[in-house]
Amino acid sequence: MDLLLDIRYALLPEAIISLLIIACTVLTFTLPNKKQNIIYIVSSLGALLALISFSYMPFFAEINALWNNFTSNTFTILFRILILIGTIITIQMSKKYVSGYGNSIGEFYTLILIAALGAMLLAGASDLIMLFVALETLSLSCFALSGYTKLDKLSNEAALKYLVIGAASSAVLLYGFSFIYGITGETNFVTISNYLSGYNANAVLIIGFLLVLGGLGYKLAAVPFHTWAPDVYQGAPIPVAAFLSVVSKIAGFAVIIRTLTIFLGIIPIWSLSIAVIAILTMTIGNLIAINQSNIKRLMAYSSIAQAGYILVGLAIATQAGISSMIFYLIAYLFTNFGTWTAIEIHINHTGKDSIEAFNGLAFKQPVLAAGLTICLLSLAGIPITAGFFAKFYLFQAVALAGFQYTWLLIIALINTAIAVYYYLKIVKAMFLRPTQELSQEPVISPSKTLNIVLGFTVTAVILIGVLASPFISLSELSAIKIDLSSALSFIQ
Amino acid sequence: MSLLSLTILVLAPLIAAIIIGGPWFPNHEVAIRRFAKGYAGFLFIYSLFFLVFFNPTQSGYQFLESFNWIQPIGIKFSLGLDGLSLILVILTTFLVLLACIASKFNITKKHKLYYSLIFILTSAILGVFASKDLFLFFLFWELELIPMYLLIAIWGSGRKEYSAIKFVLYTFLGSIFMLASILAVYFYHYNQTGVLTFDLGILAAPKAYTYPLTFEILAFLGFFIAFAVKLPVVPFHTWLPDAHVDAPTPISMLLAGILLKMGGYGLIRMNLQILPEAIKVLAPILVVLGVINIIYAALIALVQEDLKKLVAYSSISHMGIVLLGLGALNIAGVSGAVFQMIAHGVISAGLFMIVGVIYLRTHTRIISELGGLGYVAPRIFYFSMIIALASLGLPLLIGFAAETLTFYGAFISRSFAGIQVLTIIAAIGVILTAAYLLWMLQRVFFGTMFEKWKSVHDITPHEIVILLSLVLVITVFGLFPRGLTNIFIPTINSIISNILA
Repeated sequence: MDLLLDIRYALLPEAIISLLIIACTVLTFTLPNKKQNIIYIVSSLGALLALISFSYMPFFAEINALWNNFTSNTFTILFRILILIGTIITIQMSKKYVSGYGNSIGEFYTLILIAALGAMLLAGASDLIMLFVALETLSLSCFALSGYTKLDKLSNEAALKYLVIGAASSAVLLYGFSFIYGITGETNFVTISNYLSGYNANAVLIIGFLLVLGGLGYKLAAVPFHTWAPDVYQGAPIPVAAFLSVVSKIAGFAVIIRTLTIFLGIIPIWSLSIAVIAILTMTIGNLIAINQSNIKRLMAYSSIAQAGYILVGLAIATQAGISSMIFYLIAYLFTNFGTWTAIEIHINHTGKDSIEAFNGLAFKQPVLAAGLTICLLSLAGIPITAGFFAKFYLFQAVALAGFQYTWLLIIALINTAIAVYYYLKIVKAMFLRPTQELSQEPVISPSKTLNIVLGFTVTAVILIGVLASPFISLSELSAIKIDLSSALSFIQ
Repeated sequence: MSLLSLTILVLAPLIAAIIIGGPWFPNHEVAIRRFAKGYAGFLFIYSLFFLVFFNPTQSGYQFLESFNWIQPIGIKFSLGLDGLSLILVILTTFLVLLACIASKFNITKKHKLYYSLIFILTSAILGVFASKDLFLFFLFWELELIPMYLLIAIWGSGRKEYSAIKFVLYTFLGSIFMLASILAVYFYHYNQTGVLTFDLGILAAPKAYTYPLTFEILAFLGFFIAFAVKLPVVPFHTWLPDAHVDAPTPISMLLAGILLKMGGYGLIRMNLQILPEAIKVLAPILVVLGVINIIYAALIALVQEDLKKLVAYSSISHMGIVLLGLGALNIAGVSGAVFQMIAHGVISAGLFMIVGVIYLRTHTRIISELGGLGYVAPRIFYFSMIIALASLGLPLLIGFAAETLTFYGAFISRSFAGIQVLTIIAAIGVILTAAYLLWMLQRVFFGTMFEKWKSVHDITPHEIVILLSLVLVITVFGLFPRGLTNIFIPTINSIISNILA
C-alpha cells in the first residue's frame, strides 16, 4: 500500500494534526512571548480544518491503512470526530487559562494537539503495537499537561501521581499483550481474532484478557483503577481535567470496545468481568461522590460513575448496547464539557473550587447558573436533556438484551437515583443558599470565549435531548462495524 | 395540526416559562403575576374546549396527535385524551389557575423564577396525563421533579430543603422501578411481535400474547411502587406530610390537588390497563393497603396539632379510598376511585387554601393556639365548613358522591372473598374523617377566642374568588355527579371489560 494513499483515504485528519503539531512547535520557539496567542488561533483553525477534512474521506468504506495497523470505518471515524470536537472545545477553554502563563503558552496547545493525535490513532488502532504507541502518545502528553502549572503544588502532585499510576498500568497492559502474543503469535486484531476463533479458553488467555481489561480500565478511570482521577482532576488545569474526563475517556472506550470484542465468545467470563467492573465503577463512583465538598473532586467521581454506566453497554454485548454506548458518549461529551466550562467560568470569577462557593449563584449570575443546572441535570439523567435520553437508550438496550441482565439493569437504575442526590447538591447550593459576597472583583477577568463554549455545549445538550433520532441513527451506523457475531454463538 | 391541539396545550406552559423566565420580561411583580394569571386562565379555557369537543360515548383516545420522534427505538411523540385523562387535564389547568391567583399573598420573592417553575410543572403534569406513549409518560413524570423540588425548597417554610429533597428522592426511587417495568413490557412486546413500541394504545389493548404470571406480577409491582410513592400508599407515604407542610400554600394545593392524582392515574393506566391478569391476583393487596391508608392516616390526623399536617394526613386517608375502589375491579368501584380523585383534588386544594388563609392572618397553624376565629371571620368559617363537610362526605357535596360510589362498588365487588368485610372497616374509617374534621372546625372557629385574634380580618376578594370557584365545583358535581361520571364511564367500562374478559 502506498503511504500517501493511506493518508488521503484513511488518515487525512491525523496528517493535518501532525503538521499542525510541527507548526505549533516551531511557532512556540520562534514567536516572542507577547505574540504566543497566535498559536491559539493557529491550533484552533488547524483542528477545525482537520474536522472538516473528515468530509473528504470515504465515510462508509472500511479501509485498513498503514500496513493493517490502522482501521478507518464508520466506528473509528465517529470516535475520531468526537475526539476532535472535544479537542477544539478544550483549546477554546484553554485560551483564558493559559494567557496567564507568559512563556509557555505555545507548549500547552502543542501538547493538547499531541494528545489529540494519540487519542485519534488509539481509536483507530488495530494492532497491539500501534495501540500501545498511540496510548503512550496520549498518556505522556496528558502527564505533562496535568503538571502544566509548574509552581502549583497540587498540579505537580497530580502529574506525578498520574505518571506513576499510568506507567504501572501501561506495564500491566503490556504484560497482558505479551500473553496474547504468546498464544497467538500475532499482534494484529484481525489475525488474532482469526487465530482465536474456535480456540478453547485456557487460564493463560483469561489472565491475558483480564490484564488488558485492567490496563485499559485505567484510561477510563474504571474502579479499581480509578484512584488517580480525583487528585489529577483537582490538581490539573481545568481544561486538562475536562480533556481527561472526556476526550481521553472517549478514546479509551473506542479502544476497549475494539480490543475486548476480539475475545468475545472465547473468554467465558467476558460479560461477567465487564459487568462487575461496570457495577463497581458506577456504585463506588456515586457513593464517594455524595460526600465531596470540592467541585473538581465531585466531577471526578461523577465521571467515574458515568464510565460505569457506559460499560454496561459493553457488558451486554449487543449491537444496541454498543450503539447506546456511542450515543451516551456523544451526550457525555457535550454535557461534561459544558459542566467543566461553567465551573471554569465560576472559578475564574471567585477563585474558589468548593461547592460552597456556588452559593446563591442563581441570583448573582442567573445565566451561568441556568447553564450549569442544565448540564448537571443532564449528568443526572433528568429530562429534557441529552443525558436523560442517553440513559434511557442505554437501559432500553439492556432490557432488549434479555432477562438475564435484569440484575444489571436494576443496579444501574438504583445508581441513577443515588447520583441525583449529589448533582442536586450543587443545584441546591446555587438556588437555595444565600449569596456570600454581593459584588466582588473577579479573580480572572471574564472571558467571552468561555461563555460561547458554554452556550454552545448547553445548546447541544438540549438539542440532542430533543432531537435524538439522527444521533441514534449515527450511533447505530457506527456500532454495526463492531463484530459481535461470536457473542451470539456463545450465548446459545 | 388543528387549532385545538394537545401539543399546544402541553407545550404552551413551557413557552410561558420561557417568556417569564427570560431577561426580556420586566422584573416587576405585578406584571409577572398578571401575565401568569392571564396565561393560566387562557390554558384553563383552552382545556375546556377539549371538553366541548369530546365525544363522551367513545372509550378510546381522542384528539390523537402522533409524530415519529425517535424512530430507531420506537418512540413517538404521541398525545391523546380519553375520558379519564380529560377530566384530570381540566382539573390541572383549573387548579393551576387557582394556584396562580393564590400566589399573590403567599409568594413574596423571586417571582420570575416562581412562575416559570409553576409553568414548567404544569407542562409536565399535563404531559403525564396526555401522553399516549410510555416513554413520553416517563419523560414528563421525571420532568416534574426539579420544578417541584425548587418550588418547595425556595418558597417553603420550616425544614423546606429536607422536605424537598425527600420528595425528589422518594419519587425518583419509585420511578426507577417504573422504568424497569416499562422496559420489561416493551421488551416482552418486542420479543413476541418483533415491533419496538412504547405506544399505550398498543400495549394496553388486548394483545395476541399473554404474559407469564410471574413476569406480570413483577412488572405490576414495579409500576405499583412508583405510583404508591406518588399516591401515596402507607409504607411509602412519609414524604407527603413533610412536603405538604413545608410547601407554600399554592404549591400544597397543586401537590395535593394534582400530583397525588398522577399516582392514581398511573395505577389505572398502567397497572389496570396493561397488566390485567396481575391486578386480579393482587387486588386483595390493593384493598388491604387502601383500608390501612384510610384508617391509619385518619387516626394520625386525629391527633395532629398542626392544621396543615392534619390536612396532609386526611389526603393520605382519602387516597386510600382510591385504592379501595381500584381493588374492587368493577365499574362502580373504579369509577368511584376516579370520582374520588377529582373530588379530593378540589377538596384538598380548598382545605390547603383555608389553612393558608388562616396562616396569613394568624401566622400559626397550631390548632390549640387558634380558636374563636368564626366570630371575627364568619365568611372564612362558611367556606371552611362547606369544604370540610364535602371532605367528610356530606350528601349533596362532591365527596359524598365519590365515597358512596366507591363503597357501593367495593361492597358489591366479587373481586375476592372478604372484600365486603374490608369495605365495612373502611367505612368506619370514614367516620374518623368526620371526627377529626369537625373537631378541627370546632377548635379553630369556635371556643374561647384569644385576645390577639380580635383584629383578624375576614376574607379578601382574591380568596373569595378561589374558594368560591372550588365550592362551586364541589356543589355542582355533588348535585349532578352524572355530569362528571358521563365523561369517564365509557373509558372505565372498556378497562373493566378488558380485565374481566
